[in-house]
Amino acid sequence: MDTVPSFTPGHCPVGPDSLTQIKRLQTNPARWNGANWNDFAAALRAAGVELLESLAACGAFATDAGGTAYGMPHGVVIAKSAQQISALLKTAQQHCVPVTVRGGGLTTEGESVAFGGVLLDMTGMSRVKSIDKNAMTVRTECGIFWHSLAEELRRDGFDYLSAPLNLTSTVGGSLNVGGIDVNSPRLGCSADQAVALQVVTPTGEIVECSETENAALFQRAILGYGQFCVIAEATLKIRRYTPIRMHYFYYSSLRTAVEDLQLLDRNDASDYSGILTIMDSAVNLLVAFDSVERETAFNAKWRAQLRGHGELGFALRALPRYALRPWKLPEALYLWRRKQQLFPEFRRPEYVRDGLMQDRTVVFSRAVWKYWGSRQMVIPDIATSVEKFVNAVERGNAVCRKYFPHYTLYCVGIKLRDDHQPHYEMSCIPPDATGWAYGCEFEPMMDRVYSRDHLQSFKNEIYDIGVDIGASYYRFGGMMKGYIRRALGDAVVDRHLAMKRKADPNMILNRDVIF
Amino acid sequence: MPALAAHSRSGFAACSGCSLCLLVCPVWRKTRDLRYTPHGRAKALQHGVPVAELKNSVESCTLCGACEPACPEIIDLVGMVLSLRRQLTAPAAVTMNDTNGKTANYAGQRVLLATPALRETVVALERTAKLLDCVVAEDNGADIALALEAGTPIANARRERFLTPLFSAKKIIAGDGLLARQLKDWLPLIEITSPGIALSKCSELRRHLRSDDLYVIEPRAFHANYDELVLYYDDLRHATGCAMNLDLQRIAIPATARNLRQRLGVEAEDNAAQTRWLLQGRKIARIVVEDAGDIAAFRQVVDMPVVHLAELANE
Repeated sequence: MDTVPSFTPGHCPVGPDSLTQIKRLQTNPARWNGANWNDFAAALRAAGVELLESLAACGAFATDAGGTAYGMPHGVVIAKSAQQISALLKTAQQHCVPVTVRGGGLTTEGESVAFGGVLLDMTGMSRVKSIDKNAMTVRTECGIFWHSLAEELRRDGFDYLSAPLNLTSTVGGSLNVGGIDVNSPRLGCSADQAVALQVVTPTGEIVECSETENAALFQRAILGYGQFCVIAEATLKIRRYTPIRMHYFYYSSLRTAVEDLQLLDRNDASDYSGILTIMDSAVNLLVAFDSVERETAFNAKWRAQLRGHGELGFALRALPRYALRPWKLPEALYLWRRKQQLFPEFRRPEYVRDGLMQDRTVVFSRAVWKYWGSRQMVIPDIATSVEKFVNAVERGNAVCRKYFPHYTLYCVGIKLRDDHQPHYEMSCIPPDATGWAYGCEFEPMMDRVYSRDHLQSFKNEIYDIGVDIGASYYRFGGMMKGYIRRALGDAVVDRHLAMKRKADPNMILNRDVIF
Repeated sequence: MPALAAHSRSGFAACSGCSLCLLVCPVWRKTRDLRYTPHGRAKALQHGVPVAELKNSVESCTLCGACEPACPEIIDLVGMVLSLRRQLTAPAAVTMNDTNGKTANYAGQRVLLATPALRETVVALERTAKLLDCVVAEDNGADIALALEAGTPIANARRERFLTPLFSAKKIIAGDGLLARQLKDWLPLIEITSPGIALSKCSELRRHLRSDDLYVIEPRAFHANYDELVLYYDDLRHATGCAMNLDLQRIAIPATARNLRQRLGVEAEDNAAQTRWLLQGRKIARIVVEDAGDIAAFRQVVDMPVVHLAELANE
């Protein structure tokens, strides 16, 4: 059987736009040419793997949550087991067919879009295998949505530790890129909750790995952007479920709010913290607690130090500001309308009763999809050390102001684990971060149609800030991969590229996401 | 036939692919296959897939309606499936009630359109009628409900014969959630509710609900009027302390997962996995159902009392 390698040894597959002195032009990758597809499909089916090639199957995966990158796989495989994934990857290596792995498809830069080749839909593997109440861990297939995992854990009174505030993030997707919750300033990112993994390497070996078993592979699997393996199963830490006690503080200054956020995180003053804004006009610092004791301690020691106000206090201060600036009345009206939309959503009585919020992810995610979601989304971000964060947020905010009338910023800290430093290399965790890393997402409201050029220019300008100050990014793959070398440097990228070539000889797995 | 439901909702073109519908879809839970979900169907249609190629997916839907309150784009997902079914040939013809019996007169009365399952549960049927002070309609429209579900055309004569006695009714209590949804279009001036909601408002029944009960909401009626009923049931849950078949989003988990072919009786039912999932991890001593059709499904997988809500009245 003839095989035509589509990867040329010696060629650096990192896009030329990433190289210094060359004009950047982020685009979708070229579509894979389909060489040997029929032979591959026949071999895969002979190996007992179901391959779907209908338009109905492939079309469902044509884009991701971003809606700006469009591709189409030649075929779809719905994940069933590690053994099936192994057969797929072995056959794909043999025929040099690219395989793109997709969890919830919540990428925004086309990272989970297949530009030809096979799309491996991991949500097919979404069953909880077992809960160990003594070890306080759960073993689960990794295509499971965090919300589905929560549904199962809650029947036994448990919860996961931290997961993205999005119901359709998958465990595998988050372990690959990070996964940030409003308790990440205390508990770290979702990827840090993994105790052990079952992975399938790009050449089809099924391997169990952890900090003590195949540790090198474990380090590359976690926060590895899917370059070194497909994560099939994970053992994750869990905890007892608690509803949370929410407090909201409102600011008119980003800097002040960020400083107060960092004050809380630095002093372990709250269990949950984060900033969510309506432009830079209404900056909401949310603070929450798992227990009365923690809330009482906060009220006694830290509450008075926060410079934010309650809802009424903030409104009373905002009124004269807009009264003296009548040209800003449209902004004031927008703030009012947005408040009228959002506040009831965060206080729906079926989720919030007696001051306790049940199921924070449900509340936040439903609101996010309802009031922020659309067919197109761009959410460039910057991840920095503690010290650089205020500067990054303020500069990014200025870029948002320049490009869009309405936008939202979401800021949160991530507690870092010293023993996980190897995981963090070439990830969203910036190399100079110690103690905590901080991330800010800059999300424009798509209340009108914007061209791809406009959106790309906006993203570039945000990412340029990251390069300038020495930061990293949560979304640095796909269309934005041109920034990887500029932000993280050639030495790190080349070391990882060498590891990737060794692990994935034909560079089939998640091609064009990073490499 | 007029379109089902008020179409202020958007169509499949609005689907952004967020996958939130998967989380609540009993068919997705069973298949783990995106093609058999609202997301999969909407995306396929966006890509111009012919309806005939979606036949299996369209017929797999249980029409529980759980996806509608989950959808942030407010797409008429139930209407979408019904519309697609009307474009397909039904797997088996629905036998319509063609008898020309005496025309009833329900002027000023409360009328109960009991489902076939409730009719078979004689004690529950009698108590429902008594508690709600309503007359049980001889023509319950079961054939019309099934035709709506299958996308089978309904002859005007049959529809008129069913609706004429109901025009002057004071209130209609429709056991089939899909039929109730359609009746709101056909009879917009008449108050239409479900037996579950009507019965659960009876203080005589509410006081018998216990903290170790699992109260099983009928999902079709619940999801069709979700914004109002989610608060109603939340209050009921807090007032009685009973558990409910609600997930963390407060969307009802159906006790059964009957697809079209199963509803038409051309394929054997297979509800065990869905029913077990509903029960998993719950510490309960009794199951109280709004829909008599759920009783058999529970009795197949669990050894504890399963009663219809109306049956609590004799305690």
